[in-house]
Amino acid sequence: MIHFDNVTKVYANQNRPALDHVSVDVDKGEFVFLVGPSGSGKSTFLRLVLKEERPNSGAIHVAGKDLAKLSNFKVPHLRRRIGCVFQDFRLLPKKNVYENVAFALEVIGKPRRFIRKVVPEVIELVGLEGKAHRMPEELSGGEQQRVAMARAFVNRPMILLADEPTGNIDPATSIGIMKVLDRINRTGTTVLMATHDAAIVDSMRKRVVELEDGKIVRDQSRGVYGQAY
Amino acid sequence: MRANFIFSEVWIGLRRNLTMTIAVVVTVAVGMGLLGIGLMINSQVSSLTNFWMDKVELSVFLCGKNDAFPACKNKGAITPDQKTKLKQTIEAMPDVQKVDYEDQNAAYKNFQDSGGNSILLSVLKPEDLPESFRVKLKDPDKASAVEQSLKGQPGVSNIVNQRQILDSVFGFMGKLRNMALAIAILMVLAATLLIGNTVRLSAYNRRRETGIMRLVGASNVYIQLPFVMEGVIAGLIGGVLAAVLLIVTKILIFDQIQMYMTAPLSWNTLAGVITLTMVVGVVICLLASFVTLRRYLKV
Repeated sequence: MIHFDNVTKVYANQNRPALDHVSVDVDKGEFVFLVGPSGSGKSTFLRLVLKEERPNSGAIHVAGKDLAKLSNFKVPHLRRRIGCVFQDFRLLPKKNVYENVAFALEVIGKPRRFIRKVVPEVIELVGLEGKAHRMPEELSGGEQQRVAMARAFVNRPMILLADEPTGNIDPATSIGIMKVLDRINRTGTTVLMATHDAAIVDSMRKRVVELEDGKIVRDQSRGVYGQAY
Repeated sequence: MRANFIFSEVWIGLRRNLTMTIAVVVTVAVGMGLLGIGLMINSQVSSLTNFWMDKVELSVFLCGKNDAFPACKNKGAITPDQKTKLKQTIEAMPDVQKVDYEDQNAAYKNFQDSGGNSILLSVLKPEDLPESFRVKLKDPDKASAVEQSLKGQPGVSNIVNQRQILDSVFGFMGKLRNMALAIAILMVLAATLLIGNTVRLSAYNRRRETGIMRLVGASNVYIQLPFVMEGVIAGLIGGVLAAVLLIVTKILIFDQIQMYMTAPLSWNTLAGVITLTMVVGVVICLLASFVTLRRYLKV
C-alpha cells in the first residue's frame, strides 16, 4: 500500500537529510506507528506519501501508483484515497460538525444525496451522534479530533495518515481517539500514525517504525515505544 | 462541479474584501472607459480622414494684376499662354487625377456660398479674387511633392495645400486619443496590480479552507475557481460601469460635436467598442488572478 524504496529527502538550505535512504513497506490494512523524536523525519515521511514534497532520490509507491510518475494534475485524485488527521484538528470554525465533514465531499464534487447519506454514518462511527449541529468551539479537543477523523474517513480512503493526533489531547481522551482509529483500521483502511506518545504505542501493540535523524533505526511488529533504549 | 458552492465562496470573498473590490471595480471602470474613449476618437478620426482625404485638393492660385505675392511681383497677371501651359504641366503630372479651372466669378460665387464674412463680402468684387486651378490628386499623401514642383512655375502666385489644414485638426484629435490610451494603459496596469492584491488577500483569508480542500483532494480548478471568479466578477462590474461611462460620453460629447463631424458615431460602433473594452477588462482580471494564484496558492 505504501512502499518507500531508498528514499532520501533533503530540504533546500539544509545539509542534513530529513530522510536518509529510507525503505519501508506498509501492507494493506496494516496499522503502523511512526515514532521518533521531533525532527527525526516523521512529518516528512507523511508529506512524501501525500506528494506534498518530492524525494531527492528513491522511489515511492502509494496505492499502487509511482508518485514520481504521477502528474500534478492527478495528485488530487491520490489525495482522495488518503485521509489526514493532524494535531491541530484543522476544522473550519464557521461550519458545524456536519458541515465540516460534508465539506470534504462537497469540494470533490460528490452529489448531495450521497453526502446526506454517508455523513451521518461516519459521524456515528467516530462517536459523535447527536452532536452534528454543534460548532467546533463548543466541542472538547477530543471531540474536535473525532470530527477531523470523520472528515478524513468520510470518503472511505485506503490510507489514513495521522500526524500526532493525540498531541493536543489528554491521555484519557486519547484512548477514545485510538479506539476510533482502530475501528477505522478494522474496516480495511491502512493507518499510519506518527506519534511520540509512548503510552499509546505501548498499549496498542502494533507495528512500530522508529526514525532517528532521518534513518530507520527499528521496524518491529507488535512493538512498544521505547524498547530500543 | 457544484455551482452554488463556487458562487457562495465568490460572494464571501468579494464581501470580505469590499474596499479592495471597490478599488478594482473603479480602476477597471476608469481604465476601460478611457480605452473606449480612445477607440471612439480613433474611429471618428479615421472616418473623418477617409471623408476628407477624398476631397482634399491643392489650390494653385494664379497671379492677378496687382498681386503682392513675391512670385508675381512686377510681372503682372498671368497670360493666357502661361495658363494653358501650366494646365498642361499639371495634367501631365503622374499623381494628378483631375484639374479644374476656377475663374474669378466662380471664386466669388464660392466665397459667397461658403457664408463668409459679410463685411468683407460687401467690399469684395469678383476681380479681387484670384483665379486658380483646383488640383485633385490620386494619392493625397503626394500633395507636398506636387506642391514643390509647381512652386515657382510662371504665373503661379501661391499654392494652398488643404491637407495641411486638416492635418492640424487630425493632429489634435490624435493627441487626444493618444492621451486617453496612455492613461488607459496606466489604469490597466493599476487594475492588474490591484486585482493581484485582492486575490492575494482573499487567498490569505481563506488559507484554512483551501488547505483542507487540498488535503481532501479537491481539484485545482475547484480550489482556484472561486478566486478567479472573484477577479472576473469585479472586472465585469467595472466593465459595465465603463459601458455606462461610454454611453454617457457618446450622448454628452460625441453627439454634441456631431455638426462638425461627417459620419456620426453610430451605436454600432459604440457596441463594438463596449464589447472590446469588456473583453479586455475581463481577460486582464482573469490573467491577473491566475498569475497571482500561482504564486500565493500552493496547489
